[in-house]
Amino acid sequence: MMKKSTIKLCYRKIIDSSSTKPWDKFVLEDSYAEFRLQVQNFTQVKQYPSLAELVHEVPEAKKINQMVGPAITGYIQQLNEVVPDILNNLGRRFIKFKTYQFEIINSHFDHKEKHQVAISFFSEPMIWYGTIDNYLLLSSAGQETEEVLTHLLQLQPYLSIYSLTQCHELDTISG
Amino acid sequence: MERKNFLKSLLVGTVSSSVLLQACKKDADVTATSTSTSGTTTGTTTGSTSGTCSVIETETEGPYPTKAPASYVRSDITDGRSGYKMTVSIAITNYNDSCNAVANALVDIWHCDAEGNYSEYGGSGSQSTNYQSVHFLRGRQTTNSAGVVTFTSIFPGWYTGRATHIHVHIYNASGTSLKVTQIAFPEGTGTALAAVGGYSKGFSGYTYNASDNVFSDGTSLEMATVTGNTTDGFALSIVMAVPA
Repeated sequence: MMKKSTIKLCYRKIIDSSSTKPWDKFVLEDSYAEFRLQVQNFTQVKQYPSLAELVHEVPEAKKINQMVGPAITGYIQQLNEVVPDILNNLGRRFIKFKTYQFEIINSHFDHKEKHQVAISFFSEPMIWYGTIDNYLLLSSAGQETEEVLTHLLQLQPYLSIYSLTQCHELDTISG
Repeated sequence: MERKNFLKSLLVGTVSSSVLLQACKKDADVTATSTSTSGTTTGTTTGSTSGTCSVIETETEGPYPTKAPASYVRSDITDGRSGYKMTVSIAITNYNDSCNAVANALVDIWHCDAEGNYSEYGGSGSQSTNYQSVHFLRGRQTTNSAGVVTFTSIFPGWYTGRATHIHVHIYNASGTSLKVTQIAFPEGTGTALAAVGGYSKGFSGYTYNASDNVFSDGTSLEMATVTGNTTDGFALSIVMAVPA
């Protein structure tokens, strides 16, 4: 039986023109509209309407991620600090998050269909007890009872263990 | 018990049984997604997928997401920064149309705080869900029928190499940039700039308009009118003509 560890999960949610859920579409629409506004702060966008080319020519344009992020904070708030999409084996969302990172994977000033963003959600600390087939056995941290409430989480694309802290047994000091 | 049979037995009494049947098929995704190996990505999934049976979200349907404005859209951009209160009133006129007012134009402004620092938009790394003050002194308003926007802010500080200024970016209603410019402040005895006195830095090493690389060629079009005092606060107003 492996030693239990404290971990943080990361789920990187990709949103693009193939996304169908209402929340996803709001995020895509609004981030694209904000991208078109903010990218015009870089005059070279007329010559390089593709974000990939613009960043290549104008490295400073990388901060477009931070400039566009405020367009979607309202939608992040609507999640009430629960990571979307990722379900435990009972079919419920269960992962709490307090930090996230927004990035524009690609975009184009004239072609909305090229706009693709990612939101990485970083979970609150959880205890990882072990792995059964391809399911992680987890619980939220800080449960002080002998019987701990756990979740089974299937390993899946775009979900990772982001950080790990081994739990060490305290040294026994006699005398 | 064989896994597939066990899961099929759970279908009795479920609400969205066709969805569950779908998910238990070998290659099923609930939404049309696939992840290719070359590093490109598409779409999102409502359930976990791996070619075996997947759970589907079975929770009470929550409130649907509602349209939310960008968090830039606010009139008060102070975000708790200390400094002398100042209202900013900008009127946008169309120099392609007899200087008539431009309604529904988007006006972004941003400036530094009393110490001369700009907000970082949202930080360069991960952001907190408690996002107070991440883009202080940055805001966006839409001009009314009179072509006017108003903000509540503080009198800006200054930083080495630049005279006191406020950045302005004006867009038309469809988001096309009309003008990127900066607002300059009157200098000399009796002005607001003198009254504020550069906050704690004073004016040692200050760059005045005549030496400023943006304003040195003249400030007649960018010069604001600033009235008021440190007790009651200041009021800045300016008319800006754009090619709308």
